[in-house]
Amino acid sequence: MTLSGFDWVVALPKGRMMQDAYRIFARAGYPLPAAAGERELWHAGDGVAVLELRGGDVPTYVDLGIADVGVAGRDVLLEAGRDLYEPVDLGFGACRLSLIRRPDDEAPVRRVASKYPRFTQAWLRSRGLVADVVKLSGNVELAVLTGLADAVVDVVQTGHTIRAAGLVEVEVLAHSSARLVVNRSALKLKRAVLWPLIERLRAAARTTSG
Amino acid sequence: MERDAREEARNVIPEGTRYYLPPEAQARLELTARWRALFAAWGYAPVELPALEIFDPAHPLAERAFKLVDKSGRVLALRSEFTTALVRMARTQLEPAGPHRLQYAGRLWLRDSEVGLGRLREFAQVGVEVFGASSPRIDAELLSLAAEALAAAGLAGARIEVGLPAFVADLLDATGLEPEPVRRLHAAIDRKNTPELADRLERYGVRGALAEALLALPDLFGGREVLAAARRHAVSERARIDLDWLEEVLALLPAGVEPLFDLGMARAYDYYSGIHFRAYTPDFGLPLLGGGRYDGAGVPFAAGFALGLERVLEAAGRPAAAPVPDALALDADTARALRAQGLVVELAWTDDLDELRAYARARGIPRIAGPEGEVRP
Repeated sequence: MTLSGFDWVVALPKGRMMQDAYRIFARAGYPLPAAAGERELWHAGDGVAVLELRGGDVPTYVDLGIADVGVAGRDVLLEAGRDLYEPVDLGFGACRLSLIRRPDDEAPVRRVASKYPRFTQAWLRSRGLVADVVKLSGNVELAVLTGLADAVVDVVQTGHTIRAAGLVEVEVLAHSSARLVVNRSALKLKRAVLWPLIERLRAAARTTSG
Repeated sequence: MERDAREEARNVIPEGTRYYLPPEAQARLELTARWRALFAAWGYAPVELPALEIFDPAHPLAERAFKLVDKSGRVLALRSEFTTALVRMARTQLEPAGPHRLQYAGRLWLRDSEVGLGRLREFAQVGVEVFGASSPRIDAELLSLAAEALAAAGLAGARIEVGLPAFVADLLDATGLEPEPVRRLHAAIDRKNTPELADRLERYGVRGALAEALLALPDLFGGREVLAAARRHAVSERARIDLDWLEEVLALLPAGVEPLFDLGMARAYDYYSGIHFRAYTPDFGLPLLGGGRYDGAGVPFAAGFALGLERVLEAAGRPAAAPVPDALALDADTARALRAQGLVVELAWTDDLDELRAYARARGIPRIAGPEGEVRP
C-alpha cells in the first residue's frame, strides 16, 4: 500500500470521536470517504486517504509523517508528548484529566494508577511529589477501590462513574477536547492543501461551539 | 540454558545503535565525502572535536546526554551536539576576528532519542560553522551552501525553510510579561495553537497591535508574501531591524534558491539571534538539516548548519546493491596494473580457478585477470 498518491492523509481515532470527526470535516466542506467494509483499515477517497487507528496511535502516525493531519484528544496528545502542530480546537470530545481518590483519604499520594503514565509522572514532578506510577489499560477506578493504588489519574466526562464508585474528583489536572494535529513538514510542503482545511475547520468549530 | 542467555547477551547491541553493512556504509561514506569536498571547495577547513566532554549542567542537552565518570570521579558526557562544542573551541582556540570557516563530521549520542525513522541514539552529522563575522552575506552564503548540500544528496525536491526567532523574541519581549507566561505564549506559538494563544493573551492582558502581531505569528508561513505581512506586525524597532536583515539576506540568494518562511518557527528563540533554518523533503516527516545565526551565544559572532546523515540517506532512499569490484586478479602485479587504470580490483585468495570462477559469478564480477591475460569467468 502506498499513500504517496494522495493529496493528503488523515489519521482518525476509532469510535465515538471518529463519527464527530467525520461530521466536522463534512461541515467544513471536506466529506471524508466512508468505510467500504467492516474490516477495512483505511479508506481511499478523492485525493484523500483516511487511516482508522487506535486513538493513542494518531500522534505517532502524524509525527512520523505517515499521515499529514490527525484528530486526537488533548489528553492523548499530553500523554504522547509528540512534537506536532495543534492549530484547531475541534470542540467535541470535551473531558478533563483529574486526580481521583477515596473521599476521606488525606494521606500523601504514594502510588498512582493511570492510563496516562507519562502525563501523571510529569504532573507529579511539577508538584515536587514522589510517587510510583502504575500503568493500567482500563477500569482504572478499580485500582483505588482494591488498594492497588491510593490515587488514579483518569479521564472524567460527567463524573457519574466516579460518584457511582464512591470516589471523588480531587483536582482537575488538565482540560481536554479533540484537536486537529498537523505534521510539521507536511504543513509547509502541502500548504496549499492543508491551510484552507485548517481555516475551514476553525470556522466549522466556531459555529458549533458558539 | 544460562549459557544460551549469556551467548545471546553477547550478540546484542544497545537500543538506538546499529550496524551499517557494505551497501549502506558505502553510501554513508560517499555522501559524507561529497559534502566535505563541497564545503572544502567553499573554503571551509576541517576541524575535529573530542567525543568526550566535561559534563556541564548548563549544556542545552544536559538532561539527554550520556554521562560517564572518569577515574578521578569527574563526570564526563558523550558529545550530544556540535554547536556548543564548536563554540567552546572557538572561544579558546581561535582569534576573535574572522571569518573562520570550519567544517566537521562525526557522531553524536543522546540517551532518550525516540528510536525509529532516523531517530537513533547514536547518529552522525556533517556541518559547517562561520565564526568571527556577522553579516547578511554570510547568512546568504550558508543558505546557498545548504541548498547545494541537499542537491548533492540527490534531494532535488527539498525545500529550505527560514524562520526569524529574533522577531518572535522581540515581540514576546515587548509584552513585558514574566518568564513563565512568556514561555506559555511561546509554546502555543510553536504548536500553532491559535485558540490557546488567543486565550492566554486575553488572560495576560496583552492587547492592541502587539496582541494582533503575536496572534498572527502562527499563520505567518509560506512564500515571500509572508514578509510583507510581517512588516505590518513589526511593532518594535528591533523587530523592524530583524526583518531588514532577513530581506538583505534574501536579496543575496542565487536564482534557484527560493526558501519557504515560517515566522512562527521559534524553537530556541532565546538562542538564535537572527535567522534559523531547516529543510524538508516531501513524504519525509523530519527536518534534514538545521542551522542559524547565534551571535552572542558564547562567542560574539557565529552561524552555521548541520545535516543529519541518517535522515538524509533515509529520505533519499537506500542504495540497491553492494558495490561490485571491476575485476578479480590472480596475482599482485596484475592487480596493481589494473588498479593503476583506476579499476577496483580484488586479489585471488586461492589457486583453485573453479572456486574463483564460482565466486566471481556469484558476486557478478565481470573479469578475472592473471599474468597471461584475461581468464574466462
